[in-house]
Amino acid sequence: MNDKSNKPTIEKYKQFIQEGKFRAFKCSDCGAVIAPPLGSCYSCGSSKMEWTEISGKGRLVSFTVIHVAPEEFQDEAPYYIAIIELDEGTRVTARLSGFDPLKPEDVKLGTSMELTFIESPKGRKYLAFKAA
Amino acid sequence: MPLNNTNIVSAAQTKFGKLEGITIREMFAEAVDKATVEAGIPKKDIQAAFIGTFIPEMLIHQGHTAPLLIDYAGLRGLPATRHEAACASGATALRAGIMAIESGLYDTVLVAGAEKMTSVSTNKVTEALAAAADDEFESSIGLTFPGVFAIAAVAHMQKYGTTEEDMARVAVKAHYNASTNPLAQFQKEITLEKALTPRYIAWPLKLFDCSPISDGAAAIVLTSNEKAKEYTDLPVKIIGTGQASASMDLCNRIELTSFESSVKASKIAYEMAKLGPEDMDFAVVHDCFTIAEIIASEDIGFFKPGEGAKAVREGITARDGDKPINPMGGLKAVGHPVGATGVKQAVVIYKELIGEAGKNQVPKYDTALMHNFGGTGATCVVNIMRRADA
Ligand SMILES: [Zn+2]
Repeated sequence: MNDKSNKPTIEKYKQFIQEGKFRAFKCSDCGAVIAPPLGSCYSCGSSKMEWTEISGKGRLVSFTVIHVAPEEFQDEAPYYIAIIELDEGTRVTARLSGFDPLKPEDVKLGTSMELTFIESPKGRKYLAFKAA
Repeated sequence: MPLNNTNIVSAAQTKFGKLEGITIREMFAEAVDKATVEAGIPKKDIQAAFIGTFIPEMLIHQGHTAPLLIDYAGLRGLPATRHEAACASGATALRAGIMAIESGLYDTVLVAGAEKMTSVSTNKVTEALAAAADDEFESSIGLTFPGVFAIAAVAHMQKYGTTEEDMARVAVKAHYNASTNPLAQFQKEITLEKALTPRYIAWPLKLFDCSPISDGAAAIVLTSNEKAKEYTDLPVKIIGTGQASASMDLCNRIELTSFESSVKASKIAYEMAKLGPEDMDFAVVHDCFTIAEIIASEDIGFFKPGEGAKAVREGITARDGDKPINPMGGLKAVGHPVGATGVKQAVVIYKELIGEAGKNQVPKYDTALMHNFGGTGATCVVNIMRRADA
């Protein structure tokens, strides 16, 4: 693969998720890991990006349980949406897997999490995390 | 640079709520008439119009709203521009008006906002509102608007011990204040028990934590110092204005218990006005959800981080408290026609500052702050206003 075709794009980022892979952007100049994608690095200002693998490990920062969902997600409700801070330092918004949506009181912020994926009834994959 | 030439000389809103049989043009024209001819300001004096509408394309299949709306309201021919910043559309239109007067380009301008939301299904409205969040990375996995503020609420509860009951108290206060506001969508008090009804929208936010779907319009007239004297003895001066942005998606925010755009916009506005939170007699803040009011009351510096809920519990933010917040009932109970909201907040401050808020008059009313928030907090506008004789 030449340099040009390997340039990270939003479309490929989303396509990786559909393939059950999580690849992040990485700043070519300072090494900052960036996900979801940004066109410019807030650590050093560079716009040069490359792909990087990520560990898939992180911790739970905050969450909600969606009860009233937009039409396209209605048959999935209630479901968790969470903010996860990855060990690499960046934060992503993702689904949670393996927690009872009717017992949100039991979910503890700061819990160690690891990457998984959830497939919607229509076959779409969501980035998701489960307790590590 | 300080502001020294911008005066509000009239301000009006329509009733907010489900305005059946009334289109966006008609409600817009009603607000404009109330703020111009009915306030003794001839329409021919208006030189430009700055209009806030959020998403009429999806709600009523209509774009290019600025010339359309002013045409129906009898202002055909004026330069008219629409400003869109989700729920902060109205306040960004107001800032454009402020800049137009301060620059000396115009002496008298109209700032107005409107939204017609109830003519489509709730699903359609939810879909339209979701357009104010990051579609590619957050909405696409099922995050909703209430969900965004629910995530902030959970973080605030964990860090500071804020409770669902604290949030419910914000709703009780909003409904109490709106019960004497004839233009409010809900003019009925609710009990704490009712506010706590466990109908979850996005846990821990329940039905009564959320502002409603509304129709409505609001309008104000801004003029220079020289021109203001022709219209009123008691103008309200805008003495500070700040605007800031933040990432659309929550995952790019370092803090979830505070909104950085609110903190930044407040700081800019206070510095411009050479005043601080201690100088504000009251505030009108963006309470799209109850937790949003609690966090805003901290972000504008009325209370220390984490003490917003305590202030509600102790009645400090009640209409007769030391630091009243949303004395007319806020978005929560007055309604939230998105494009009109930022302008309506200025209407509320104007009425309070000139002492014409009727049963909703706050005890001290020389100087006040308005805080208008766009979408997930990706835009925030803060304005500081003071009655000219104060
Ligand atoms: Zn970098």
